[in-house]
Amino acid sequence: MKKVLIIGSGIAGLSSAIECAKRNMEVTLVSPYSSERAQSVLAAGGINAVIDDSNGDSIESHIEDTLKAGCNIAGREAVTGLCTEAPNVIRKLEKWGTVFSVDEKDEIKRRAFGGQSHIRTCFCGASTGKQIVTALVMEARRYEIQGLINRRLKLYFYSALIKNGKCFGALFYNDDSDRIEMIRADFVVFATGGQNALFGKTTGSTLCDGYVHGKLFTQGVNLKNLEFIQYHPTTLETSQKMLLVSEAVRGEGGRLYYLDGDKRVYFMEEMYGENGNLMTRDVVSRCMYNTGKDIFLDITFLGEEQIKKRLPEVYDLCMKYRGIDITKESIPVTPSVNFFMGGIAVHNNHESNIKRLYAVGECASIYHGANRLGGNALLAAMYGGRVVAESIAKSETEDSSKEDFAKELSDANAGIDELKNTIGNSSVMSIRNSLANIMKTNLGIVRDSDRLYKGINDIENAISSSAAVRCDNRNHIYPIYSLQEILILAKATLVCALSRKESRGAHYRSDYTDTSDEYFL
Amino acid sequence: MRVRIKRQETASSKPYWQEFNYDREDDKTVAGMLDDINGREIIKDVGGNVTSRIEWECSCMQGMCGACAMVINNKPALACEYFLRDVKGDTLTIEPLKVFPTVADLVVDRDIILESFKKENVYIEEFKGTESEEYENMYLAGKCLKCGLCLEVCPNYNRGRKFYGAAFANDCYLVKSRSKTNGDSIKKSYRKHFENYCSKSLSCADVCPVNITTLASIASMNRTH
Repeated sequence: MKKVLIIGSGIAGLSSAIECAKRNMEVTLVSPYSSERAQSVLAAGGINAVIDDSNGDSIESHIEDTLKAGCNIAGREAVTGLCTEAPNVIRKLEKWGTVFSVDEKDEIKRRAFGGQSHIRTCFCGASTGKQIVTALVMEARRYEIQGLINRRLKLYFYSALIKNGKCFGALFYNDDSDRIEMIRADFVVFATGGQNALFGKTTGSTLCDGYVHGKLFTQGVNLKNLEFIQYHPTTLETSQKMLLVSEAVRGEGGRLYYLDGDKRVYFMEEMYGENGNLMTRDVVSRCMYNTGKDIFLDITFLGEEQIKKRLPEVYDLCMKYRGIDITKESIPVTPSVNFFMGGIAVHNNHESNIKRLYAVGECASIYHGANRLGGNALLAAMYGGRVVAESIAKSETEDSSKEDFAKELSDANAGIDELKNTIGNSSVMSIRNSLANIMKTNLGIVRDSDRLYKGINDIENAISSSAAVRCDNRNHIYPIYSLQEILILAKATLVCALSRKESRGAHYRSDYTDTSDEYFL
Repeated sequence: MRVRIKRQETASSKPYWQEFNYDREDDKTVAGMLDDINGREIIKDVGGNVTSRIEWECSCMQGMCGACAMVINNKPALACEYFLRDVKGDTLTIEPLKVFPTVADLVVDRDIILESFKKENVYIEEFKGTESEEYENMYLAGKCLKCGLCLEVCPNYNRGRKFYGAAFANDCYLVKSRSKTNGDSIKKSYRKHFENYCSKSLSCADVCPVNITTLASIASMNRTH
């Protein structure tokens, strides 16, 4: 029986685990916390699929919309697979118990989303990700009971076991035993989400910090397209995070405007016509930035009853965290970091340049090119799991028992023991805060070489400071050992942005405003 | 303001109280405050003693993941939803949830919640479709955070020995409403691990951060036997 180690238990990890278990593989599903804590539960708006062509929609349109939104750098073959399989993904999710919003004929409802030629985003109220997680957790439990999925919690990724271009498992910091633990496997799948910690407070989870990317990068795993970072146009600032105001609000007719004196200027509609509010996220965010004004999102005209019925979570969030009644007043919105199109470079079967090391979900870079369509993240997380399982099912296993990693394990344990005794001058949390400031200042919506060089210089200083970091909690060492690789990833991201001397999708350079075919790949 | 935190270095070490000074900001939540204290260049208690980073679980910081459930001024709540403006007086007391074993500081081990679901085969197996009148209740039940607040306040819950609590009742309901094959067995489990012990105090519904109507789940489960 093939042994598969899956790291991360959000939607991409759960989908991979279920699909592997269905194919009679022995899965170990590892994460620090349970699936309910995963960033996936924050995905609000929906999941794209052409489940009905009566509105003129087609799978070809979904493919073209996805490629066009990604500014033509995502692979057509991969995207074709994604969009073609999408209707089956929805049927599967329904069968596994996802509570989709349905109409009076019990058919799944769809809403308009940005950058799409047809209405095709299936949804569960405004908590689509959460409802999918609930269903997948239940479906995964079926295989846990059968012994095909073994869940392990309280384990933090430490490093991959890589030799001669092949992966044999991973090391984890065990929070209970306070030691490093080894898990061997025939195949390893990373499903660890994006790199939020680079920017501090984003719309996402604090658990997605980019350490996996940084560590794997230092171990020879290729990363790509790190410069493509999606700024979601409509987020609401609070003292503790940027709250996502779902694209569903604009899907339900929400209008963006700024004030010129007392007059409302609906700038997106003026520039792009009546559907201007639903341009792709990169375009909307850039237009908002270019106004130089405070931007508001108005949905009041929908009326209290419809707002509370169609967008209850948005109503609750705005009221709870900012005291804004969206049935009566506009929402002050600002773009902020929401998704990373770049990540671990994978082939169409989701395998990286290291054999047997796969990546899926937001941590992989494959379907979204330079800008992701709303509703395609959940789809990619679900679909990727199946692709991974099919690829592993077709792959041969090798006898890897001769590969010995005892030294790596003892070195890792010695490494964390050493870190526990560090009495340096720098605090890990203050370096993390500096990192966020450096990235927000120098890798915003509009970039230029001066700021990127400045960012790289500042990150190098932060890397120097991290060598003298003080251990501030001997019993939970993860934040200490993860710091340096997070900083290395930040530097790699800035270098990627500096190297791409063109503007494309979410990467806009004020010093290279045109799109250049030299960077087509 | 003065912040009193019940701390515990490891699962096996003794708990102790430690106090911190904090400049109250009304728009901050307890979660934001913990972030601020941990973000200090050097973390010191009120006596000026250097201390370790406070361990607490957090992920979404907006009431959607259930990670930061704890007891705040004797009230079980999500730290990311508890605003400092709602703190009466000038002292804030924070403790870990009490019905689960403490792992460290404010982090508790809630594995038992999902372990009990596993023991009782809580999954759909063969889907039979959904009745549209059940949609609203199912949608709410599907939002359960598995945060454990309902178990913390329940007068009948005793570390999951026999009675599994409201989270279990809601997931049983999700299975029963849609499973062609597991409906009967889930009803038996429900009787054995929920119905026989629930005294219907409904404290679970009052504390639920996502407003799940457990009573509706109970009513639906009871209708069928």
